[in-house]
Amino acid sequence: MKIALIDASLKAKGSTSGILLEDLRHCLSGREGMETVNAALHSPQMQEETWKKLECADVWIFACPLYVDCLPGHLLSCLGQMEEKYRGGKEIPVYGIVNCGFYEGIQAETALKVMQNWCAKVGFTWCGGIGVGGGGALPMMAAAPPEHGPKAPINKALLAMAECIAQGSQNGGWENHYVSVAFPRVLYKMAAQTGWRHEIKANGGKAKDLGKRP
Amino acid sequence: MKLIITDIEDFNLPVEGEYKVIKPQGGIHHCVGCFGCWTKTPGKCVIHDGYESTGADMGKCSEVIFVSRCFYGSVSPFVKMVQDRAISYIHPDFVIRKGEMHHKRRYENVIALSLYLYGENITEAEKETAASIMDANADNYDGQVKQIRFLSNTEEIEGLVL
Repeated sequence: MKIALIDASLKAKGSTSGILLEDLRHCLSGREGMETVNAALHSPQMQEETWKKLECADVWIFACPLYVDCLPGHLLSCLGQMEEKYRGGKEIPVYGIVNCGFYEGIQAETALKVMQNWCAKVGFTWCGGIGVGGGGALPMMAAAPPEHGPKAPINKALLAMAECIAQGSQNGGWENHYVSVAFPRVLYKMAAQTGWRHEIKANGGKAKDLGKRP
Repeated sequence: MKLIITDIEDFNLPVEGEYKVIKPQGGIHHCVGCFGCWTKTPGKCVIHDGYESTGADMGKCSEVIFVSRCFYGSVSPFVKMVQDRAISYIHPDFVIRKGEMHHKRRYENVIALSLYLYGENITEAEKETAASIMDANADNYDGQVKQIRFLSNTEEIEGLVL
């Protein structure tokens, strides 16, 4: 079984979506008969290389950030192009992983529903997804072990998804999972806000400039 | 002021009161997730293609009206890309609102959100999703949902007065 890991982040490098797909790849590795292929959707126009990778995959897994309570616009554009190409054709099992900058993974529910509606329109099989809260912290935790500490709830959900994919239980065996990084919300909020202040200072501004009103 | 964001290129619906229309003109660049609109040029997108000031426009309006083709319960890619490029309307800092983490206000105006989604065969699931997204937008913009309508044909769209 070939599994397409589709990175639909707005960023080509260093994204939380990329980290989550890499973690999922680890969860899938070592299972007999399972092979993964990395595909990228970083712009509104589907690329020939991506079409080819998707064409030969048996399962598609999208990862993207929650953006204004929904999927990012460039991904919607790509989904529209895929609908035109595949509507009424083969039934592909589709999973989604949507990460939020907000702490609560449940805030990704709307974006996962859009993905589910897309599957219904195209004729694909929606197999469920994961809403990941506190996604902004993951790029800072590259060295943290997945099984313990702040990444543990996310890793547990990814392992469950990997198990579901391996068993082929996509027809009703999985419901959306909503998880958050295991880190107190108040500290996550403080760390994020400190980060914005560092960043604006690194860009030559002042902390109070964050609130400018042009 | 009413801010109308639409994917209809030849938009000419009647609008009551002062308004501004953002529609497809010359191509829009998608958001690249750089957060420059928060930390380089706060309040304004760093991509200069004519769509960089939507966040500031939102800060001056009383109502945002989306007139868009339905895309699986979402607005269309163009309208969504305009929205994505306008995250500078909100401040990067977080607040807890209704028990959930959301962004802090940058501006003081309270936006009323109206959504007109058009398309043939909009499903009940898509309608429910659209309503959920609008509720979530209202929470994040700290605004209110004014109305949501689904339009299935050209006549219904042409009969609108915004």
